[in-house]
Amino acid sequence: MQQLEAIGRAEILIGIPSYDNAHTIAHVVKAVQIGLAKYFPDKKSVIVNSDGGSKDGTMQVVRDTTIDDLQSILLRHRVEPVLKIATPYHGIPGKGSAFRTIFEIAKALEVDACAVVDSDLRSITPEWVELLIKPVVEGGFDYVAPLYHRHKYDGTITNSIVYPLTRALYGKRIRQPIGGDFGFSGRLASFYLMQEVWESDVARYGIDIWMTTTAIANGFRVCQSFLGAKIHDPKDPGADLSAMLYQVVGSAFDLMETYAPVWSRVTGSEPVPTFGFQYTVGLEPVAVNVDRMIDKFRLGVKELAGLWQEALPSGVVEELKELEQKGREEFSFSDGLWSEIVCRFALAVREKRVYKEHLLRSMTPLYIGRTASFVLETEESGAAEVEERIEQLCRTFEEMKPLLIGQWEHKEGREE
Amino acid sequence: MIPGVERFIIEPAERFLEKVALFLPNLFSSLLILAVGACAAWLTKHIVLRILRMMKLAELSERSGVEGLLLKGGIREPFAAVAGRLAGWLVFSIFILISLSTLTVPAVERLLERMLLYLPNLFVALAIVVIGVLLANFFGRAALIASVNAGLAMAGLIGKTVKLAVFLFTLSVALEQLGIGKETVLLAFGILFGGVVLALALAFGLGGREAAQSYIEKKLFSEEERDDIHHL
Repeated sequence: MQQLEAIGRAEILIGIPSYDNAHTIAHVVKAVQIGLAKYFPDKKSVIVNSDGGSKDGTMQVVRDTTIDDLQSILLRHRVEPVLKIATPYHGIPGKGSAFRTIFEIAKALEVDACAVVDSDLRSITPEWVELLIKPVVEGGFDYVAPLYHRHKYDGTITNSIVYPLTRALYGKRIRQPIGGDFGFSGRLASFYLMQEVWESDVARYGIDIWMTTTAIANGFRVCQSFLGAKIHDPKDPGADLSAMLYQVVGSAFDLMETYAPVWSRVTGSEPVPTFGFQYTVGLEPVAVNVDRMIDKFRLGVKELAGLWQEALPSGVVEELKELEQKGREEFSFSDGLWSEIVCRFALAVREKRVYKEHLLRSMTPLYIGRTASFVLETEESGAAEVEERIEQLCRTFEEMKPLLIGQWEHKEGREE
Repeated sequence: MIPGVERFIIEPAERFLEKVALFLPNLFSSLLILAVGACAAWLTKHIVLRILRMMKLAELSERSGVEGLLLKGGIREPFAAVAGRLAGWLVFSIFILISLSTLTVPAVERLLERMLLYLPNLFVALAIVVIGVLLANFFGRAALIASVNAGLAMAGLIGKTVKLAVFLFTLSVALEQLGIGKETVLLAFGILFGGVVLALALAFGLGGREAAQSYIEKKLFSEEERDDIHHL
């Protein structure tokens, strides 16, 4: 608090949420410091590290990280110094609670523009700061989503659920709605802060989809910026997949309930303004064990088909049982089947047919089956072909929307 | 009059008639209370049924597995109907007790007193069993989903075992509440649970020794099968 009073007011704030990221956060802080010095030399800027109680000295690393020789990187001397705040956040442990603290500081400092970047990024460059902040400062945008080049098997929840669903519902083609690195206006930060969501899954993995959806559904000006490659610290693949799926998809479904009057009026989709020079980047290979994924799907069908019947029509369950019998060569989880499953689960969550957490966690084998099918289908495909496949899936989701609206309104009719 | 007739026949008969005359009003009022009770029970059943239908309990009981349990127990009626019927019988039983107490028969009164003292235990035990069924379904399903997501081939067995264990535990608590074989029930539960764990341990150790070895080796020493997919 004293630190905030000493700073008074700032123009730009960059937030870095962290938890035990001592070995990666220094690079992120340096990239941000250089980015601010290079692209916003006249703006009073603050870097905020919102930490979840790291035990590996992450906050100390943030405090100690400085650029010794700015002259060798920049041609021009910085006018305003970059200030740093490293603070632990309070509330439910998770990324969303870390963001809440960042929003609070942004509001207290009355900043014009903010950005948040992940603390485990290995591919962040100073240009990210410009690309996330400039559309807000100079373009009048309120929300800047990231656009990355990622490996074809990277970000599969984004590619198979979140992007197609968000695009079909809200009509904006934001390619990475849960990218994790965003730019936004001070006005939008204050708006986020006013929402009563901080005790829900928004406080955890749900924050990214919530930020994007809230910005679109409330009519804020949105755009996206091409940031290059997104390469993370490789510790994330070990995270609990079903928990991630539950929090992200659960948040997306909750938002459907909140914004039903908005999305039910939207038809089709449109591109959003995109900034940055797009170039091809070399990506690290991603190891995938398809056989094990298919085995998990088969186990899911064998054990959870009864539970899925609460959400899915019998025809869909039969189709899944037929798929379970197929070998690797014939294994194909169609776009139509997948999009119907996602829509039916959204309806089942809304109608509270089964305890929400059980239902969404039971979706994991289905998601794994769909991912295995996607991997098999795109084994020989290049980046452009894979992107076209994802576009095709998005169109299928858009075609599925009338069914979703019909069922949603049917339920509303019954409730009245 | 023949001597002794008055003493051995008329006087007892008069005493009997006196007692009958004293008892009859009690009997009539008891029958009346019973009739009122039957009406009240019928009314209660319908009111409860209507309230539960208004609360959309049918969906909830279906989701929580109560409906499925009733079906398994051979009851084809919906849960709301069963609950309504139970409420009706509860009201009728209370009226039966009141009507019996109006008879003022000492033996019946003593029996009633004991029954009334035991009744709360019965309700608590019933509540424990109902909660137990719900918890068993909940934890059984959670264990099943977690095991499937972890890719465990025995996921179904794990889910069923957890469900059964939770149910048996609550059942033993309910029986203890009723005072039925306190030590025996606890001992039986302990033996049964311990036996299941021992059987699983033996099955895993003997039958699946190689599988156990390969699993542990894979978990501790091998990284080759790990996926690198970053899902978000």
